[in-house]
Amino acid sequence: MLKICVEKTWKEFRLDISFEVPYKKTTALFGLSGSGKTTALRIISGLETADDGIITYGEEIWFHKKERINISPQWRSTGFLFQDYALFPHLSVEKNVTYGIKGREKLEEVKELISLVGLSGYEHCYPEQLSGGQKQRVALIRAIARRPEILLLDEPLSALDMETRLRLQEDLRRIVQRFHTTTLFVTHDVSEVYKMADHVIVLESGRVIRQGTPEEVFMGKRLSTRIQIVGKVVSIESDSIIAAVTVMHDDQYFKTLIDTEEVGRLNLKVGDDVVIGAKSSDVILFKALTQS
Amino acid sequence: MNFTAPFLLTLKLSTITTSLLFIIGIPFAYWLAFSKLRLKFIVESIVALPLVLPPTVLGFYLLMAIGGNSFVGRWYEGIFNKTLAFSFQGLVVGSFIYNLPFAIRPFQSAFTGVDKKLLEASWSLGRSKLYTFLFIIFPLSRQGIITGCVLTFAHTVGEFGVILMIGGNIPGITRVASVAIYDEVQALNYGTANIHAAILLAFSFIILAIVYFINRRFFTRLF
Repeated sequence: MLKICVEKTWKEFRLDISFEVPYKKTTALFGLSGSGKTTALRIISGLETADDGIITYGEEIWFHKKERINISPQWRSTGFLFQDYALFPHLSVEKNVTYGIKGREKLEEVKELISLVGLSGYEHCYPEQLSGGQKQRVALIRAIARRPEILLLDEPLSALDMETRLRLQEDLRRIVQRFHTTTLFVTHDVSEVYKMADHVIVLESGRVIRQGTPEEVFMGKRLSTRIQIVGKVVSIESDSIIAAVTVMHDDQYFKTLIDTEEVGRLNLKVGDDVVIGAKSSDVILFKALTQS
Repeated sequence: MNFTAPFLLTLKLSTITTSLLFIIGIPFAYWLAFSKLRLKFIVESIVALPLVLPPTVLGFYLLMAIGGNSFVGRWYEGIFNKTLAFSFQGLVVGSFIYNLPFAIRPFQSAFTGVDKKLLEASWSLGRSKLYTFLFIIFPLSRQGIITGCVLTFAHTVGEFGVILMIGGNIPGITRVASVAIYDEVQALNYGTANIHAAILLAFSFIILAIVYFINRRFFTRLF
C-alpha cells in the first residue's frame, strides 16, 4: 500500500494531505482545478519535494523529511502519464515505448503492448504524426512498459474529445487490469471515476475532504441530488417509440422524454397532475443573484 | 610571400577553440541552464563580458594574466620552458575566453528551451540525468549547439583585437589571417590585403552557408 502524509506551502496555497492508495487497485484523486491533485501526484513521483511528511510504499520509504530521505524519481518505480503526454518528439513510437526498458527480454512485450492498444504498424511513426488519442495510448504503454509498481496518471483523458475519451477509458481500464498495477489517477470527471476507479479520494483546497468507493463518496448529500417536480401535463407529443411530455410547474415548463408505452400504461392525458423525479450525481449548486 | 600560412593558422586556431568550447562549454552550459544557485547570475555576467568589453581591454587583462610576470605565465614557463604570451597556446587561451559567450549562450538557451516535462518523463522512466542529457536534451538542442559552434568558429576566424594584444604578429606562430591583413595595410600592400580579405570573406561565407544548410536540413527532417 502507498501511504502519503505530506504538506507543502506556497505563497497562496497550502497542500496538506494524508491518504492511502490500496495495492493493485485503481484509485481516483478527484477535485476541481487548483485543489492540488497534480501536485500530489508529482510529490508522490518525486518530481516535486514536499516541505514535510512521509511517503512509503510497502516497506520502502520514498520520502521522510525528518530522516532526510528523498528517493529520486528514477528509483521510485512509478510510471507517470503526463496530461500533455510528454512524448519525446525526436523518437519513434517504438523508441518512446522502449525508452525506460533496461534489458532485451522485455522488448518482446513492447510489441505485444503496442498491438494491445491498436498501434501495430505505427511503430516507426513520430509523435507529431499521431492523433491525440494515439499519443495518449503511446504515453500510457510507455509508462507501463517498464512494469512500475505504481502508475500515476495526470488527467489522462482530459485533452481528448468525448468520443475518443469514452473509447480510451475502456483501453485504460483493460490495460490497468491486465497488468494488475496499483494505479492513481487524477480527474475532475465523476463519470470517469465511476467507470475506472475502485476507490476515490476527494481533494478540496489542498485537503482530503472525503474518500471511499465512488458510491460512498458521490451519493453523499453534497455531491448528489434527488429532484421532484409536481406539475400539470400541458402537452404530449408522441410517436411509436418515444413521447415528449411537457409539464408546467410555477409558470415554468419541464419537458421529459418517456416510453410511449408508458404513456398508454399510465393513461396520461393533458391536464393530469404528475410528478417528475430525477436523481443525479455531480451536481453543482449556485447561489442565485438577486436585484437587491 | 606565403599566402596560406595565416589562413592555415586561423583554421587551426578556430578548430581548436571550437572543439575546446564544445567539450568544456556543454557541461558548463548545462550547469548554467539547470543550476538553482542564487549567485548564478554573477557567473553568467562574467561569461557575457566579452560581448560588451572592447577587445583591447580583454586583451590587455589577458596579457596581464598570462604574461611572464603573472602566476599563470610563470607556471606555464616552468613546465614548458617557454612563455604563454605571444605563443599559439596563448592565442588559444585568449580565443577560448573571448568566445565563451558565443558558445555558452546558444548552448544554454537550447538546453533551457527543452520542455521540462520531457526531462521529467525521462526521470520518471528510470533514466539518470546523464542518460537524459545524452538522449533527450542533446538531440533536442542540436540547433543551438550547431549555432554555438558556428558562431564560435566564425568569430575566431574574424578575431583581431585580442589576438594582436596577446599574440602580436609573429609569422607562422601568431600571425593569423586578420592580423596579416592589418599588416599588409600598414605596409600599404593593398593588393595583397585585398586578396587576403577576399579569401577570408569567401571562406567565412562558405562555412556559414554549409552549416546553416545542414542545420536546416536536419530540422526539416525532424519536424
